[in-house]
Amino acid sequence: MTMDFLRPATWAEALEAKAERPGAVPVQGGTDVMVELNFDVRRPDALLDLNRVAALGEWSAEEDGRLRVGAGVTYARLIAELGDRLPGLAQAARTVGSPQIRNRGTVGGNLGAASPAGDGHPPLLAAGAEIEVESAARGVRMIPAEEFYLGVKRSALEPDELIRAFWTRPAGGPQYFSKVGTRNAMVIAVCSFALALHPAERRAGTGIGSAAPTPRRAVAAEEFLAAELDWDTGRLDPGLPRRFGELAAGAASPIDDVRGTAAYRRHAVAVLARRTLTWAWHDLWAAGPHEGPHDGPRGRVRRPGGPVAPGDPGDPEKPRREAG
Amino acid sequence: MKTEARPSVGAALERVEGVEKVTGRARYAYENFPDELAYAVPVQATVARGTVLAADVDAVVRLPGVIAAVWHGNAPRLAPADNAELAVLQSDRVSYRGQYVAVVVAETLQCAREAARLLRIDYDAEPHDVELRADHPEMYRPDRVNAGYPADTELGDPDAALAAAPVLVDATYRTPAEHNNPMEPHATVAVWSGDGLTLHDSTQGVSALRETIAPLFGMPPENVRVISPHVGGGFGSKGAALPPVVLAALAAKHAGRPVKLAVTRQQMFAVTGYRTPTIQRVRLGADTGGRLTAIVHEAFEQSSRLREFAEQTTTPTRVMYAAPDRRTAHRLVRLDVPTPAWMRAPGEAPGMFALESAMDELAVACGIDPVELRIRNEPAAEPESGLPFSSRNLVACLREGARRFGWAGRDPTPAARTRGRMLVGTGVAASTYPVYRRPSRASARCDPDDRFTVRIAAADIGTGARTILTQVAADALRVTPDRVRVEVGDTALPAASLAGGSAGTASWGTAVVRACEALLEELDRRGGDVPAEGLEATADTAEEVGEQPEYARHAFGAQFAEVGVDLDTGEARVLRLLGVFAAGRIVNPVTARSQFVGGMTMGMSMALLEESVMDHEFGDYLNHDLAQYHVPTAMDLPDVQAYWIEEDDPHLNPLGAKGIGEIGIVGTAAAVANAVHHATGVRVRDLPIRLDKLVR
Repeated sequence: MTMDFLRPATWAEALEAKAERPGAVPVQGGTDVMVELNFDVRRPDALLDLNRVAALGEWSAEEDGRLRVGAGVTYARLIAELGDRLPGLAQAARTVGSPQIRNRGTVGGNLGAASPAGDGHPPLLAAGAEIEVESAARGVRMIPAEEFYLGVKRSALEPDELIRAFWTRPAGGPQYFSKVGTRNAMVIAVCSFALALHPAERRAGTGIGSAAPTPRRAVAAEEFLAAELDWDTGRLDPGLPRRFGELAAGAASPIDDVRGTAAYRRHAVAVLARRTLTWAWHDLWAAGPHEGPHDGPRGRVRRPGGPVAPGDPGDPEKPRREAG
Repeated sequence: MKTEARPSVGAALERVEGVEKVTGRARYAYENFPDELAYAVPVQATVARGTVLAADVDAVVRLPGVIAAVWHGNAPRLAPADNAELAVLQSDRVSYRGQYVAVVVAETLQCAREAARLLRIDYDAEPHDVELRADHPEMYRPDRVNAGYPADTELGDPDAALAAAPVLVDATYRTPAEHNNPMEPHATVAVWSGDGLTLHDSTQGVSALRETIAPLFGMPPENVRVISPHVGGGFGSKGAALPPVVLAALAAKHAGRPVKLAVTRQQMFAVTGYRTPTIQRVRLGADTGGRLTAIVHEAFEQSSRLREFAEQTTTPTRVMYAAPDRRTAHRLVRLDVPTPAWMRAPGEAPGMFALESAMDELAVACGIDPVELRIRNEPAAEPESGLPFSSRNLVACLREGARRFGWAGRDPTPAARTRGRMLVGTGVAASTYPVYRRPSRASARCDPDDRFTVRIAAADIGTGARTILTQVAADALRVTPDRVRVEVGDTALPAASLAGGSAGTASWGTAVVRACEALLEELDRRGGDVPAEGLEATADTAEEVGEQPEYARHAFGAQFAEVGVDLDTGEARVLRLLGVFAAGRIVNPVTARSQFVGGMTMGMSMALLEESVMDHEFGDYLNHDLAQYHVPTAMDLPDVQAYWIEEDDPHLNPLGAKGIGEIGIVGTAAAVANAVHHATGVRVRDLPIRLDKLVR
């Protein structure tokens, strides 16, 4: 059996090819697709190589204030070029695979694979990103991240559509991504959690990874924060992060597998939710008492070892600082 | 000729084949491309127990590029084998999921893979049993365990001593199945010519492989040549002959073509052996001062239906501590699983996890420092045999380790220290490994240009064997190592023992020294004149090794670990690992350090990460790749240190060296588990210490 290898040079050609061959599997970095082919998990009749479509590797600041990040922007570039504006996503990107994988892998690929363990998803959910998809027949469609994931490795993408970019606002407040794994690098998340504070709107966004059939928001937990956080004085009731964690864990529907039990994952989601909230709230008010939350972007970035790295001094409920 | 040089043994000679390796010129088994080469891809059973009814080989050989498809229905007949695992494609029985049931040979790897995928096999499946349980009704006592030890031993009346003991530790420990994952998976290129067979194979012992393969194919050993100059790691998994090499030779014979067979990482989880899971009950009786009065260590293990492989799990307990009343025992059950095999320190590694965890529990129970507890139970002679130790410096290792680690003043209270959001703790464990020495031959040759060549069918599996044998030969010849070339890894060389049991340096070193001595004698006799055709001498150490006086010969060591456990998530990380070893003379400090550090890293991996998860429904190991079977990354062990005690032991071999390849892993898992207990107050008795075991 043969497999066609399609190599469009432009976005328009890529859309045409996908329309003609809806079974073609798009490949960008190849860090997921090639592994699946090698392990004979699937045998598409065609591969659609998007590496020649230069536009996918670009990002831009759009007129509405949002960033439009091409599906072919690698994790490594995302960290280097957009780490200050998308700190939550950059933190997640640092925990993906090895340096080699980060040099090839993309958020677009993460979206295409739609694995519940994909590290890129929780920050996109927390930030309220939208996914720009396009088909030759029906043109562009914008899909909110929370509507994008439909099931284990299933997304809202139609067979003739390709992912063009994701759109998201530069962080309007502190963002954190935290992940539990069995080792310090090259590890699939046992579970993960992303939090984005949106102080201008006096609300927070969340994303849970690896603890449900799809990445998902913890909606009740977000509503709780919007209602209960003291945006005027910055005072954080000690019981509030705990309750937030419980609500986040309640949003998860994990399974037992070789990486961890369902009960452990629920517990860990609660821990990660509590932590990220405490870190983010601390950052927001770190300058001391003031009139209200900051409006400007927050650029605090965690060190490459990510939240799972040992040896970090600091109070359990205080954020650890980036070295350098 | 000039015969003066500074001693080379003990110096940090750089790896002699290092440049060859880093420039890619070193040729590994897979990198051989004889003319007319074809590719073999195996087909593995998809049932765990049953019968192969049919294989539609006719349909597959019609595919373009396919040369042959072989199953038991058309396979060349092999002579009966002692090890039924090697009776590849000789019967219709399926004994475990993943067992070879057919092989396809094709012009390209791609063709062979596709044809192997398409080959239809019909099975009559039977219910399987793949679960190790201590109360399994088919548990039995094997006659002997691996390395020839008795299955059970008993001295005095341990049951009465336990009943009378003021302090009792009675605990059950479990270790999971674990799989060797050397960087280079197993690979063979098999070439028949006439009635001779050449195997380019990734093996830990060319001589042993030849001795196993030749009779299977009804040939005298000299008709088989095995070539294996470089091996990308083995850890025991390339020690004994395995089904893949037999399958490659068989496929090449059937196809009438040279055949290459490379085992994939995933296939390794079925066909290249693994460490048996164990269930171990340890009972320690002691007085209130921590002096042991009774030791009982019983192990339950598994093997396959095909072959009895009984790991020597409790044998280190026969060596470690003094106690008048004692018992060790091994029980085995045969399941529908692949045959377990050697994995770095088989027996010692899982066995010492249990014993050294129990010793830590005893230290807690008695309120005695765990270093002091071990010193108090130091025996004067080997506890079970009564033999004197050739040398035993466990106490020195414990003291030196404690000093270097900063053990003094340790507060034994568990769960009492935090650093940031981590609970921090320290732990110690002792380690031991037997000193083996096996007969080997070697030759030493001098050419008129005053260069020396030493030949021995040893194996350098990445340990630096070629380098240290160069040093050993240089000293024996009293020349600088740059004038000595050592050739290994080929049955065309004098036969030698395999790289296993940490016995390479002692076994091969003895043969190399004797061959070099014989050559020097011959040179002396000739007044130092080297004839134009060169001069060669050989040695065979069978007699010397067979006649060595009885001593208890063991290496010892102590590992210290500091761990941090996240208060909330239970993530455990090893912050510091320090080992001190007493292993005779260290021939090369650089390659030795790599062995100790590598062993300790593997022990840390055993403690926290490695676990082959059996899928009870399908009967095979579920997490059969490196994305799911985790080993440590460079980020996981920020601080690992190895030291050694200078040991002058005259009862070993001409080098005074003990083995160092395996002792590093022994004890490390217990040191980490003991540190986790000290950090958290949670005693994890079943490895690995997964994060969900530390969160309640």
